[in-house]
Amino acid sequence: MSFLLGATLVAVTMAMACALPGVFVVLRKNSMLVDGIGHAVLPGIVIGYAITQDLGSPWLILGAALAGLVVVLGNEYLTRTGLLAGDSPQGLVFPALFSIGVIMVTADFANIHLDTHAVLVGDLNLASFQQLTIEAPGRSPNLDLGPVYLYVMLAVLLVNVAFLAAFYRQLKLTTFDPQFARTLGIRSGALNTGFMFLVSITVTAAFNGAGAILVIALIVAPPATAYLLTDRLPVMIGLTVGIAGAGAVGGFWAAYAANAATSAGMSVFYGVVFLLVLAATRAARARRRRSSLQRTTGTRPTTPEQALIG
Amino acid sequence: MSDVLGALMGPGAFFDDHTFRMAFFGTAVIGLVAGALGSFAYLRKQSLISDVISHSALPGTLGAFLLAVVVLEVDGRNMAVLMLGAVVAGTLAVGLAQYVTRATKLSIDAAMAITLSLFFGAGMLLMRIISNGAYPGKGGIQDYLFGNASVITKADLIASISVGTAALVLMVVFWKEITLRTFDPDHSTVLGFHARAIDALMFITIVIAIVIGVKAVGLVLMVAFVVTPPSAARQWTRTLPAMVVLSGIIGGLGSGLGAYLSIAVGGVPTGPLIVLTLFAFLVLSLLLAPGRSLITRARGRTRHRRILLRQLVAEREAHIEPQGSTTLPGAGQS
Repeated sequence: MSFLLGATLVAVTMAMACALPGVFVVLRKNSMLVDGIGHAVLPGIVIGYAITQDLGSPWLILGAALAGLVVVLGNEYLTRTGLLAGDSPQGLVFPALFSIGVIMVTADFANIHLDTHAVLVGDLNLASFQQLTIEAPGRSPNLDLGPVYLYVMLAVLLVNVAFLAAFYRQLKLTTFDPQFARTLGIRSGALNTGFMFLVSITVTAAFNGAGAILVIALIVAPPATAYLLTDRLPVMIGLTVGIAGAGAVGGFWAAYAANAATSAGMSVFYGVVFLLVLAATRAARARRRRSSLQRTTGTRPTTPEQALIG
Repeated sequence: MSDVLGALMGPGAFFDDHTFRMAFFGTAVIGLVAGALGSFAYLRKQSLISDVISHSALPGTLGAFLLAVVVLEVDGRNMAVLMLGAVVAGTLAVGLAQYVTRATKLSIDAAMAITLSLFFGAGMLLMRIISNGAYPGKGGIQDYLFGNASVITKADLIASISVGTAALVLMVVFWKEITLRTFDPDHSTVLGFHARAIDALMFITIVIAIVIGVKAVGLVLMVAFVVTPPSAARQWTRTLPAMVVLSGIIGGLGSGLGAYLSIAVGGVPTGPLIVLTLFAFLVLSLLLAPGRSLITRARGRTRHRRILLRQLVAEREAHIEPQGSTTLPGAGQS
């Protein structure tokens, strides 16, 4: 598998793995919590690396995801105390955890050579560098199966699909009608914790390729764009996956063509797509409103000036 | 506490050193201004907008740097130019997040997340361009990510103080309008105040507070300077003026103390240590503040439980004695 094809596949898989749970993250108004999780996994990654000595280890991903869960549970606890207003609990826990992570990195804890710059931005190409090869009998070059990282993200994607398929009904109910869900006996607290843990795992796994900040774009931008276009959940999920995949290919190749930083380029690409869709839906709505106004009042613009006013 | 630290480095030796003095006062000014102005974001329940602003300061600063070096051909390190760029980008980001919330059915958190990643991504693209090109004075550009309090110069300090003072003066001058808009937005509109203009004014002061801190503290941790002091101050106070003042004091003291600790201990980055100091202030406030703290509440709860238990026992004894049996109430019904 050529390197470029491998990296493109990684980008697409990563985008889809992130965007799927993102649908419920956006609908549950937890988008900025992802930002917090993205930063808070840093100390988890450092400690996990100290134990496993391998940045790609699944144990490291699970351990670091627990650190992300601290933000979720800490936010819930602080909100429940009723002592803090608005979204401030979300902004209190993660800077502290991130600080601990930065201090550990600079103190050269566990000899981890994490470039703090790469922590924020990630490097898709670097993450895709290590190729999975299998020694095939009878073939002189080993069978090349593409980047190892591709399989990590593929596993995360499958876990996300399985979770959403298994708990689709419960997630839908707790998202749109939490009270009704509770009367039905759905344990919304446990479901929420489980779901956010999955988001945390996704963020940690994507961290290597995307960095703490692009992860937010990957998780939030495709579902938010899809939400502009539809009101129906199944349609929104389909659109989200489509936008995530197309955006990954488009963003990756645009960044490649412009010789720009990959993850930053993809992040901007998703943002621009969102803004374009926003502008298009606004324009379409304005046109619909104008034409329905004309139908109901029976007026028809005759001169360009009137058309402008109408 | 200062005795323990005195063994590491006495305050006298600390303040004799120019770099240390600048780091201390520079971060203290940042903490004070951000803490005071952050109170309004806290009360508007939009604290996280500060995270969006700090991330969008990156493309603003770098864009201004490129503009200054390439187009205007002036010194790219000109503090005023960089600050202006960051303020413009920060204000644009706030405007975009508010617009998306108003124009679509997306909630403010999704709007913030998209704005943040868009602006930060643009910033990282610019950073790549700058670090690949040969631009004079591009050193220190990396500091905007994680901050570096040891590069605060006297000019930086003077710039922070004057710009920060300007933001605080704006806050005091428009105190009435901002307060009314914060606590009773509908009434404020009915009285004829222009809601969006007041919002813009309030958020611009917060943008300024953040922009003066980004280079010293780093854009990732700046959110803690805006969110933590008001959250701690709110526990001790009941009125807005008291909260704003206390929040400023906590921000200033916490930042100064954190900067001092980081230098006295040595080898520990300043921004993260300040954040942890502020977080310690918050935890203490949540635990100890009179009237509403977690400890007071837990004690109140146990006291009420004891009283209730005593009442129940007394009732039960009164209920049991006349009958002379120990059947539970309701057990005899069929």
